[in-house]
Amino acid sequence: MLLNTVIIILREVLEAALLISILLAMSRRLRVDPRWLPLSLLLGGAVAVLVGTQMRGISELLDGVGQEVFDAFLQLAIYVLLLCVAVLMIRSYYSQNTVPGGIAAAMGAAVTLAVIREGSEIYLFLSAFSADPDLRPGVLSGAFIGAGIGFSIGALFYYFLLALPRRTTLAVACVLMTLVAAGMCIQAAQLLIQADWLPAQSSLWDTGNWLPEGSVSGQLLYALVGYEASPSPVEVGVYFSAALLMVALLFWARYRAEAGGRKGERDRAASTP
Amino acid sequence: MLERTACRRLVLLWMLAASVKAVAADRPIVELEIRNHLFHPAEILMPAHTKVKLIVYNRDPTPEEFESYELNREKVIMGGQRAIIFIGPLAPGEYPFFGEFNPNTAQGKIIVK
Repeated sequence: MLLNTVIIILREVLEAALLISILLAMSRRLRVDPRWLPLSLLLGGAVAVLVGTQMRGISELLDGVGQEVFDAFLQLAIYVLLLCVAVLMIRSYYSQNTVPGGIAAAMGAAVTLAVIREGSEIYLFLSAFSADPDLRPGVLSGAFIGAGIGFSIGALFYYFLLALPRRTTLAVACVLMTLVAAGMCIQAAQLLIQADWLPAQSSLWDTGNWLPEGSVSGQLLYALVGYEASPSPVEVGVYFSAALLMVALLFWARYRAEAGGRKGERDRAASTP
Repeated sequence: MLERTACRRLVLLWMLAASVKAVAADRPIVELEIRNHLFHPAEILMPAHTKVKLIVYNRDPTPEEFESYELNREKVIMGGQRAIIFIGPLAPGEYPFFGEFNPNTAQGKIIVK
């Protein structure tokens, strides 16, 4: 039970930990008060337990596909929040002094939703199997080890991002956020296909022999960029449209910020003779 | 005469549409049980290139997560609950699945022919 628990908890924690490390690194770089993190962890954890206890009812909704639709909407909401974070990030990077107020709220909301999604499954697993006195020691120690490894990988990633030069951190964070955000969308698409809300199709390709999804690197790539070994045309379309929309918004935000900056300089030059 | 052919065509079209709808509603149903953290049956046969409605009954008191990398499916099934999972259309082959909460015992595969 120990090893299985380590793997389950690690898989769930990893996704949230990578997202948190990217957002926390950017929050640090832009000097945003990091208080959003403990708040969103607490709130997300509490709601995750609530969702876990209500999972039976949620599953029954919408002719038995309530769970898929609920999870898919959580993922899509995280995508929209990441779009907001990315635009605000660019804006605050170019405006030097002022930090837009919404950025901490958007980061916190994204992490809260990610914790709800991953945490409810952890809660269900732990509450069911730690009730058995024979399994309890293995389950609890496995959970600590799994969570420890997950958060350590997140911490390593955080320090890696902060070790980069300031300008590179922003670029790397934008690329990573785009991939994470597109990964959220492909997961949502997959859930909606499972629920029969989106058409099921044969897969376009299969890289499962070359890089199995269940392998360590497959799991890491899944958590980071939404790696999928055998995606269908709908999933590929959703992934690239989601990524393209985010890239377009990022460039638009940069264009606006630079134009605004130039205008500010001209105004200052005009007012000082 | 012309009107009659058009009418006949319309009726034919309507019948075709009705039959397609009936097919969509009557997707083949495959049932599966989880008992003592094992899948029963552990191997299920499915027709190729057909969408199938898989109903999984969890007879254990503990929750289980039906998961398959090959099928791109994952769903938590609470103790004593049943879950509906749409699968396919699939090309012929073998598609393993497992219970994520008890992966040592809960193993199975779908054989598509």
